[in-house]
Amino acid sequence: MMLQLASTFSQLSLSQYLVLSSLLFVIGLVGFLTRRNLIVMFLCTELMFQAAAIAFVAFGRYWFDFSGQVFVIFILTVAAAEAALALALVVLLYRRRSTLNADDWMELCE
Amino acid sequence: MSWLLILLPLAGVVAVVLSPARMAKIVAMLTTLVVFGVSIAAAVGFDGWGKGTWGLTGSFDWLSRYGIEIQVGADSVSLVLVLLTTFLMPLAVLGSFTSVRERLREYYGWLLGLEAAMLGVFLAKDLVLFYVCFEFTLVPMFFIIAIYGGANRAKASVKFMIYTFTGSLITLAAFLWLAWSASQAADGAWTFSIAALTEHAVSGLDATQQGWLLLALLIGFGVKVPIFPVHTWLPLAHTEAPTAGSVILAGVLLKLGTYGLYRFMLPMCPEAVVTWAPLIAVLAIIGILYGALICWVQTDVKKLVAYSSVSHLGFCILGLFALNPMGLEGSILYMVNHGLSTGALFFLIGMMYERYHTRDMNAVGGLAGRMPIWACFMVFFVLASVGLPGLNGFVSEFLCLIAAFAAGDMGAYPGVLGPWYAAIAALGMIFAAMYLLIMVGRIVFGPEKLPPGTPDEELLPQDLSVREITVLVPLAVFCIVLGVQPWIVIDGTSAAVADTLAVYEPILGQAKSAVQGALVGGAP
Amino acid sequence: MMTSTAIRIAELVPAVPPVPVAEVVEATSHWWAGFILWFPLISLVLCGLCAAFRVRSKLPAWITIGSLACSFVLTILLGNAEDVPERILLFEWISMEWLGGSFVANFALYIDSLTILWMSFVTGLGTLIALYASEYMEPDVGKGYTRFFSGVSIFLFAMGCLVMGDNLLMLYLGWEGVGFASYWLIGYYYRRPEAVAAAKKAFIVNRIGDLGLALAVYLIWATFGTVQYNELMTIIQSGDFSEVYEGWSVKAIPYLLMLAAFGKSAQLPLYVWLPDAMEGPTPVSALIHAATMVTAGIYLIARMYPFFLLEPASLHLVAWVGGLTALLAATIGMAQYDIKRIFAYSTVSQLGFMFLGLGVLTTYGAAYHVFTHAFFKAVLFLTAGAVMHGFAGQLDLRKLSGLRRMKGWRIVAWTMFVGCICLAGFPFTSGYFSKDAILAEAFVTQGPGFQVLGWLAIFTAFLTAYYTFRVWCRVCAGPVHYEPGDELHDDDHHDDHHDDHHDDHHGEHGFHPHAPRFAINFVLVVISVGALLAAVPYFMPNEVEGIKGGWVADMVHGSSAASGIPGHPDHPGSLSDSAHGDGHAHHGTILGMDPHSAMYYISGVVGGVGLLLAFWLHLWRRQDADRLRSWLLSRAWIRWLPVAMENKWYVDEVYHALVRAPLWLLGHVFHAFDRYIVDGLLVDGTSRLPRLLGRWFQPLQNGLLQSYAVTMAGGAVLIVLMMVLMMQFFQGGAVQ
Repeated sequence: MMLQLASTFSQLSLSQYLVLSSLLFVIGLVGFLTRRNLIVMFLCTELMFQAAAIAFVAFGRYWFDFSGQVFVIFILTVAAAEAALALALVVLLYRRRSTLNADDWMELCE
Repeated sequence: MSWLLILLPLAGVVAVVLSPARMAKIVAMLTTLVVFGVSIAAAVGFDGWGKGTWGLTGSFDWLSRYGIEIQVGADSVSLVLVLLTTFLMPLAVLGSFTSVRERLREYYGWLLGLEAAMLGVFLAKDLVLFYVCFEFTLVPMFFIIAIYGGANRAKASVKFMIYTFTGSLITLAAFLWLAWSASQAADGAWTFSIAALTEHAVSGLDATQQGWLLLALLIGFGVKVPIFPVHTWLPLAHTEAPTAGSVILAGVLLKLGTYGLYRFMLPMCPEAVVTWAPLIAVLAIIGILYGALICWVQTDVKKLVAYSSVSHLGFCILGLFALNPMGLEGSILYMVNHGLSTGALFFLIGMMYERYHTRDMNAVGGLAGRMPIWACFMVFFVLASVGLPGLNGFVSEFLCLIAAFAAGDMGAYPGVLGPWYAAIAALGMIFAAMYLLIMVGRIVFGPEKLPPGTPDEELLPQDLSVREITVLVPLAVFCIVLGVQPWIVIDGTSAAVADTLAVYEPILGQAKSAVQGALVGGAP
Repeated sequence: MMTSTAIRIAELVPAVPPVPVAEVVEATSHWWAGFILWFPLISLVLCGLCAAFRVRSKLPAWITIGSLACSFVLTILLGNAEDVPERILLFEWISMEWLGGSFVANFALYIDSLTILWMSFVTGLGTLIALYASEYMEPDVGKGYTRFFSGVSIFLFAMGCLVMGDNLLMLYLGWEGVGFASYWLIGYYYRRPEAVAAAKKAFIVNRIGDLGLALAVYLIWATFGTVQYNELMTIIQSGDFSEVYEGWSVKAIPYLLMLAAFGKSAQLPLYVWLPDAMEGPTPVSALIHAATMVTAGIYLIARMYPFFLLEPASLHLVAWVGGLTALLAATIGMAQYDIKRIFAYSTVSQLGFMFLGLGVLTTYGAAYHVFTHAFFKAVLFLTAGAVMHGFAGQLDLRKLSGLRRMKGWRIVAWTMFVGCICLAGFPFTSGYFSKDAILAEAFVTQGPGFQVLGWLAIFTAFLTAYYTFRVWCRVCAGPVHYEPGDELHDDDHHDDHHDDHHDDHHGEHGFHPHAPRFAINFVLVVISVGALLAAVPYFMPNEVEGIKGGWVADMVHGSSAASGIPGHPDHPGSLSDSAHGDGHAHHGTILGMDPHSAMYYISGVVGGVGLLLAFWLHLWRRQDADRLRSWLLSRAWIRWLPVAMENKWYVDEVYHALVRAPLWLLGHVFHAFDRYIVDGLLVDGTSRLPRLLGRWFQPLQNGLLQSYAVTMAGGAVLIVLMMVLMMQFFQGGAVQ
C-alpha cells in the first residue's frame, strides 16, 4: 500500500513539486535582487529557503529516504534562529539611520 | 612541570581578565613570578644538565590517528631559554606599571598569553605544538604593538605580523613536506615528533632535498632572527612597540629564530648546512657591519638599539654556523646575553622616554647630571653590549668569533668558515663601540639639554624610582655573573651541543683528516 | 683546498732562547697574591657604597689609597718570594673541553719577574697618585669624588689583570678594562663636550688596537691550541708546532699584537687619542696616560717576545715605528703651548723610544725606560696639575712665568726641574741611562737602516731636551707673571673655591693662585726622589751575567722577554745574522767607538745643547724666540714647517677625511639603501603585488548588498552550468 502510494506519487508529481520549488526560488531570488527594503529582502531569502525545503521533501519522498525530511527540520530550525538574528540586526540598523534601504549601507566598499 | 609552565600563564590570562583593572598588574606580576619560581624549581630538579638527555617530559594524545601527539619536554639548551623567558617576564610586567595606563587587563592578558606561547615554543617536542606556539606569539605581540605602541604603530604591527607570518608559512610547508616524506618512508605511519623527523631528515633525505629543507627553514627562522636582507620589520616594530614589548621582542622573540635554527636546521640538514654555511655566514657578517653602520647615523635612540640587534645577532648566527662546540656554546650564550643587555637598554630608553617624551638624540642630552643612577646603568649596559670583558657580552662574542676563526679547512679545527670571516666580523666590535659610545656621549654626557615641557614628574621622580631600579638590578647582576662565571651555561649545555654536532663529525671529519694528512705528509 | 703547506719552523726556533716557564702551583703558599687584584675591587665596591649613601667626605679617597697601598705591599712581598715564576688559579672563567680540543682561559695569575717589575710601579705610583688626587680633586668632594676614585680602582684592577694574567684572555680583559677606565676618567668632566669627545675617541681608537689583539688571540689559539703563557712558551721552545693557514699564521701573530700595542701605547698610526686624553683630570693623565696604562703595549711585546723573534721582520717594523713616532711627536711637542699637551706628546715620543728599544732587541732597555719614565713623567704631569689647580686651569706656557720665585710654589718648580732633567736625559739622571741603553743598541743591532734610526733617535733626544726645558724655562724661571685660566670646570666646583674666586677670577688683579698643600707637595717630592733613584739600578751589576742593569735586568731576564738583554748568553744580537757569537765583538760602532761608551758622550752633548738652546730662547733672551718664530713664519719656503707642527701635522684631519668621513657616508648610504631599496622596494614592493591583484577584483566590492547577491547568483549559475556540461561530457565519453 505504502509502496504503491509512493510510486503513484513519484510518477505523477515529482516534476510538479520541483517546478513549484524552482518557481519559489526564482521569485525569492528576483525579489532579493530587485527590492531595496531590507525586510522584504529578508523575506525573499526565506522564500528561497522554503524552495530548497520543498525540493528536499519531494526527493525524500521520491527515494523513500527520510534524510530529506531530517534536512528540512534542520532548515526550519536554522531559518528560525536566523530569522530572529536577522530581524534583530535589521531593527538595530533601522535605529542607526532610520532607513531600511539596503543601498544606504555600503561601508564595506573598497 | 612543562605543562605547568605553559598552562600557568594561561591561567594567569583568565585571572587577569576576571580581575578588576587596577588589580591587573598585581595579578600579572604574581603570575609571572610564580612561573619564574616554577621554572627555577624545574631547572633545579632537571637532571639533564651536562647531559644530552631530555627531561620534564609529558605527552597528550590529540589526533593520534595522524600521529599528532602533543609532546613537551626540555633539554638543557631549551631550558636555558625557558629560564631567560621566565626571568624577563616579571621584569617586563614590573617595567610597564607606569608606562601603560589604559586597557590594563587586556595588556597584561596579552603579555601572559605571549609568555605561554613562548614557553610553548621552547618546551615543544613535536612540530605541531612548536608551530602553533611559534605562530601564536605573533598574535599577542601584534596587539601589544598595535594598541600600546608609538605614533606609527599601525604600520609597524601589520608589517611585523605579515612579514614574520609569511616567512613561517614557508617553514610550515617544509615541516609538512618533511612529515609527509617521513610517513612515506614509514609506510604511511605519521609522526610529528621532532626527534623522529630529525632522524628521518638526516638519514632519509639526499643532499638536494636537505638543501630545499634548509632554504625553507632559513626563510622562516631567518626572518625571525633577523638575518640581513629580511630584517626590515625589526627596527620598525622595535621602535613602535611599548617598552615591555621591545624588551620581550629583543629578549625572547628574536631568540625563537636562532633557537629554531639550532633545533631544526643544524640537526636536520647537516649536508646542506655544510654546503650553505659560508653563504649564511656572509649574510650574518653583512648584517653585522651593515647594521652597525646604520646605527651610527641614527638619531632615534630606540631605533639605534633596534638596529644594533641586527648587528649583534649576526655574531650569534656566525657562531652557530662555525659548527664547533665553541661556536654553538657562544651562540647559546649570545642568545641569553643579548636578551639581558639589549632588554636592559630598551628598559632604560623607555625610562627616559617616560620622562622626556622623546627618543631623539638631538632633542635630549646630558642627562647624567639629572639622573645619575640612570646614567650609571646606561653606561653599564652599553658596556655589556659593547662586549667589555668581565661582562656577559664579551664571553659570547669572543667564543663566536674564535670559533668562526678556527673553523676553516686550513685551520686547526674542522669547519667551513675561516679566519677571514672572523676578521671581518670582528670589525663589528669597533663599530659597536662607535655607535653605542656616540649614543652615550650624546644622551648621557655632554651639556644638559631637555625638550620643552619636560620632565614629566607627575608620576615619576627625577631619577629612577625604586621600582625601576628593581627592574634593572637583576639584569645587571646576571650580566656580571654570566661575565665571570659563564660555565654555568657552558657546562650545562655542553653535552647537548656535542650531541647536536655529532652528526657533523663524519662530514667535517673527512675534511679534517685530509688536512691532517697533508700536514703529516708535509712535515720533514 | 684541503692541501696546506705545512712548514715546520724548526729552523727558526733556535732564534728563540729558553724562556723560564712557570710551573703550575696548585696549593701555592702565595694564594694571597690574588688580593693584589681584589683590593682595588674591594675599593671599587666600597666607593660604590659611598656613592649610594651619598658620602660627602674624603672617605672614598682614603679607601682607595689604603687598598692600593695594600696591593703595593703585597706586590713587594711577592717580589721577594723565592719561587717565581708560578701560576696561581683564582677561579675558572672560560674553560671548555670537547673531543679533540679544549679552550682554557681561567682567572689565574702568572707571576714572574716581569709581572713584578710592572706591578711594583703600577701599584706604587697608583698609591701615590691617589694620594695626590685626594687633594687635587678636593673641590669635587660630594660630587664627582667617588666617581673619580672608583675609576682609579677600576683602572688598578684592570691593569692588574693585564699584567698578572695567566693567559691572553686575562690580558685582553685587562686591556679592555684599562681602556674603559681611561674612557671613564677622561670623560670625568662629562658636561664638557671636548672631554666627552676625547673619551670616546680614546675608547674607539683603542678598540682598533683591541681588534688586533683579539685576532692575535684567535690566531694563536688556532695555531697552538692554547692561550696560556706557560704552554705557549713551552711549545715555541720545543719547536713542535706547524703552521696552519698555508704558512702565514705564525708570521701574522706579531703584526697583530703590534697593532694592539700601538693602539694602547699611542704609536703611529694610532697615537691620536693620547693628546686629547689630557681632557681628563691631571692625576689621571699622570697615572694612566703617562706612567702605567700606556706602557701596556711595551709589556705585551715583552711578554710575547718569542713570537716576535720567530718573525724578525716584525721587530724591524716595531723599531721603525717607534723611532718615527718619537721624532714626529717630539716635533709636535716643540710647537705646542699647552703644558699638558707638550707632556702628552713627550709621552708619545718616549713610548716611541721604548718601542725602538724592543725593536733593536734590548727588552732590558725598553723595560728600564718604562720604569724610569713612569717616575719622571708622573712628576711632570703632577706638577702641571698643581699649576693647573692653582692657576684656575691655566696651562698656557706663555701666560705663566717665574713660578720658582713665588711663595709656596718652590717645591713644584724644583720637582718639575727634576722631572725635566730626567726626561731631557741630562747626564747621570735616570732618563740618561735608560735612554742610552736603547740608543746604543740601535747602533749595535743589525737591521734595515738601524744606523739611520739611531741618528734619528739622537736627534729626537736633542729635541726632547729642548722642548722639555722650554716648558721649565717659561713656567718656572724668569720674572714672576701670570694670568689665571678660565677655570675649565667651574660648574663643577666653584662653590668650594676661595671666597673671592668666583667674583673676580677673570680679572688678573684679584686673583690669588692657591699653592699646593701637603698631600700634593709630599707626593711630588717622593716621586721625584724616586725618579732620581731610578738611576741606581743601572750601577748595580745583575746577578746572572754580571753586566750593568741590576735587578731590572734580572727581572727582565727571569721572564719571557729574556732574549733582549745585551750580554745575555742567548742574546741573538742580530736576527738576520745568525753567525753572531761572542758578545759585542761584531757590533756596529759609532765614530769608531764602542756604541755603549760613545753614547754616553753623544747623548750628554746632545742633551746639553738642547738644554742650552732652551735656556737661550726661553729664559735669557725670550724675544729671540718670538723673532725666530716670526722669521720662520715670514719665509714662504719654511713657513709650512712651524704651521704643520703647531697643527700636529694635520693627522687628525687626515684621519677624519680618510676613515671617519667615508664610514659616516657609508652609514648614510646604507641607511638610505635599507629604507628605500631593502624595505621600500623589496619588502613593500612585494607586499604591493597582492594589492595589485586585488585591484582587478575591486569593482566587485562596491558595497551594495544586491550586487554581491548578483555576483553570488551568477557564480552559482556558472558552477551549475559547468557541472552539467562536465557531466554530459564525461558520461558521453564513457558511453562511447
